[in-house]
Amino acid sequence: MDALFQALLGGLVLGLIYVAIAVGLTIIFGTLRLVNFAHGAFYAIGAYVGLVVAERIGLIAGLIAAPIAVAIFALILDRVVLRPFYEKDPTAQLLLTFGIALVVEESLRLIFGATTLQYPLPEFLKGSATLGPIQYPAYRLLFAGGVIVLLLLVWLFIERTNYGLIVRAGIRDRIMVQLLGGNIRRASSIVFAMGAAIAGLVGAAASPIYSVDPSTGFAFLVPSFVVVVVGGLGSFWGAVLGGLLIGELQSVTTLVYAPASQVIIYLCMALVLLFRPQGLLGESEVIRQS
Amino acid sequence: MTPATATSDAHPRPPRSVLSADVRFALVTALGLVLFPLLLHPIGGYAGLATQILIVSIATIGFNLLLGYAGMLSYGHAMFYGGGGYVAAILLVRLMPAHPNLWLAALGATVVTALLALAVGALTVRLYGIYFALLTLAFAQMVYFLIEQGKDWTNGDDGIQSIPNALVALGTWNIDLTTPLPAMNLGPFGNLADIKLWYVFAAVMLLIVLLFMRALNRSQFGEVLDAIRENEQRSVFVGFNASAYRLAAFTISGALTGFSGALRALYDGSIGVANAGIDRSGSFVIYAVVGGVQTLFGPVAGTAVIMFLENVLSAVTPAWRLIEGLIFVGVIVFLPRGLSTIFKQRQKNPYAVFKRSLALPTEEPDPLLKPTGEARPGGPTSIIETLKLGKSFGHFAANRDIDFRVDPGELRAVIGPNGAGKTTFFNLIAGTIAPTAGTIRYKGRDISRVSGTSRVHQGIAKAFQTANLYTDQTVRQNCRLAALASIQGAFAPQVFRRSTRLADVDALAERAMSRLELTGVEDVRAGDLSHGDKKRLDIAIALATQPQILLLDEPVAGMSKDEARKTEALIRNLSLEMTVLVIEHDMEMVMGLSDSITVLHQGTVLATGTPAEIQANPRVQEAYLGGHSEAELAH
Repeated sequence: MDALFQALLGGLVLGLIYVAIAVGLTIIFGTLRLVNFAHGAFYAIGAYVGLVVAERIGLIAGLIAAPIAVAIFALILDRVVLRPFYEKDPTAQLLLTFGIALVVEESLRLIFGATTLQYPLPEFLKGSATLGPIQYPAYRLLFAGGVIVLLLLVWLFIERTNYGLIVRAGIRDRIMVQLLGGNIRRASSIVFAMGAAIAGLVGAAASPIYSVDPSTGFAFLVPSFVVVVVGGLGSFWGAVLGGLLIGELQSVTTLVYAPASQVIIYLCMALVLLFRPQGLLGESEVIRQS
Repeated sequence: MTPATATSDAHPRPPRSVLSADVRFALVTALGLVLFPLLLHPIGGYAGLATQILIVSIATIGFNLLLGYAGMLSYGHAMFYGGGGYVAAILLVRLMPAHPNLWLAALGATVVTALLALAVGALTVRLYGIYFALLTLAFAQMVYFLIEQGKDWTNGDDGIQSIPNALVALGTWNIDLTTPLPAMNLGPFGNLADIKLWYVFAAVMLLIVLLFMRALNRSQFGEVLDAIRENEQRSVFVGFNASAYRLAAFTISGALTGFSGALRALYDGSIGVANAGIDRSGSFVIYAVVGGVQTLFGPVAGTAVIMFLENVLSAVTPAWRLIEGLIFVGVIVFLPRGLSTIFKQRQKNPYAVFKRSLALPTEEPDPLLKPTGEARPGGPTSIIETLKLGKSFGHFAANRDIDFRVDPGELRAVIGPNGAGKTTFFNLIAGTIAPTAGTIRYKGRDISRVSGTSRVHQGIAKAFQTANLYTDQTVRQNCRLAALASIQGAFAPQVFRRSTRLADVDALAERAMSRLELTGVEDVRAGDLSHGDKKRLDIAIALATQPQILLLDEPVAGMSKDEARKTEALIRNLSLEMTVLVIEHDMEMVMGLSDSITVLHQGTVLATGTPAEIQANPRVQEAYLGGHSEAELAH
């Protein structure tokens, strides 16, 4: 029973990481119609930058530096490489972003080596909290709380700001938003950088929990895409529901029958795609356009 | 292969011998394959690498049949590659350890992977883009899981390490492919004895696969795959079963990849679970894209370049994977057609120069198409009829309770204010969308649940409101595709026969073009046509499906007055031979052209009658003017 509770908490932490990455994917898809296979790379860059800065200066500095570095990287990517591809077909975008992810992964391997790195927590964060019957590392709870706050901020951004309005409108009808003109270009760049920064921040914050190696980007990207598909591409709450579902599914399966912990999420996605291709909370319009 | 029996007189082709071109192709390719391992030697490639490259190339060619020809990005082809390897290995280890036969092992692997591809394809080919990529990945991961967990058969993570050396049975010979070639010193190109018979075998297999792909690319099947990739909606509504074509491509693709995986396992003498893993799937993407997805040799070139880098560069610098990634991105950004196009552009579509000749339109109404003998105006059977037909989007009823009936041979106009539901109604009849209520009868049979493609074959054709064309193909190719679907059926996987040999297809396309007065622009790219010609081409495409009912959605919208009058005359001519339903806002045209008129208003039928009756109908006048008068009354 305690083990199950432990697994559920672990699933929550893992699921929240997926949610954060998936939300970034979804808002980027909404504004740019870009299916971004390089999104996992943002997570990985954030994790490495966070790690390096945290070791030199401190954890908080790492958490500030990571999203900024990733956002700058994303803006450069947006301007230099991606822009001509926004209007191309999704297959070309998939190929290009897949290539970018490869380049980032290999660059990280060259710079930091292939070994697994993990940021050691400072003393004051090492404690554990008593939660009912079990002891659970305090940092993980703190992390979960932080990600929830972050997601609330993103939700407010989408629901309450003009940029968020463009995101929501773009998910429904991108051409109409473009016809209305104005700042869609700048808005898309900002949204792209923001989606990237979220992944970078979560990557840095999670580095004391999940160790980092160059292939971490892909390792988190693929389940996050599964999350997006299960929840529904373009749906914020779909990403939240899908992320928690997949995180818990993976965590509980690990407890019950560990070898199946990877395949279970693909099985879950295949079932969703076959019976409800627009995802659990997705709108059927979106799938036809992508 | 049968010799070219007949070609249309309308566009005679220069005489050429297809056979000698094929032989020439085979000879040049064979020469390249002979030189390849020799040239690889001085740049650091060991002899075995050449064999591996050739074997893996077959898998890349299979993968690329999907990406390059059908436009589908699979991210799960490792399931076929690894799956094929494991099937071959298990067959040899379990069933024929004493007399290992390469043919049986490879054939068994190919059949099993073809069946796997058929099953996975049946579930995936209706999805697009990222959804297709992820679902193929999902199935690949499931196969990976089964291989990893099926320890009794596959040894799990350890893999199968000692596959018996399979022999190639040729008649009474049993050839051992590990035999080296006779020793002969070739100076800088190494020694011939470094090369084993395996290379010769792989080269022969690759040559056969290349010849197969070359034939497929030029065949009717390849032509239709191209069309579906370019414009799926149009393809469905000229009568091609797009899903069936995709599934066929997926199955062939999986089988080729499985065959390659089997050969690789036999060559290596071992197989590990990584061959079914996600990185393996990604490698096919890289090979094909780097080489060039729309060229025959692209997949081979890409496989060779990247595998060479992996095996040779990796000994020189740790940055080899980064270089590989940069090449991949560089190719996508700067050379979207791939490395192999540096040397030669594929001459798929030599765009004709836009030049409209002054050919006079044909005057006499020629005996076009299928005679629609059923044209008996006033006869007892309607050709199309709807009963209480309705279509709701959420709470909004775009169409409701539509009772509608048209006699054979009639020219019926469907009019109504904007938003009356006219296009929705046409889409329901054509099968673009499914009704939410009521039934549609065609010649007395309920077709409400029949697919749009089947309806095209039964004789219902639609020209789109916004011209829907294969914009990258010529006018003639557009019409030929429709004629091909009409004559050959929704799914005719002719992977060897070329459609250019079908004189009846040419003739039908030719007639459709001349009926719509597209003479002189036959070889112009459809996307370069003027607006009016595009709309007429759309009708010509519909006509080439040999319809009995033609649905025209605003055929003259956006045309100049002259063009509109000309098109009106063309429609009048067509209506002599088939039933025509037309949506139009040009009232002058509607009143002059139609036998009868149905007025739709707020999604339902307001009135039906002759033009004179409709003009006199007070309710129709109110519907058209009502909005205005109410607004005026409010003042």
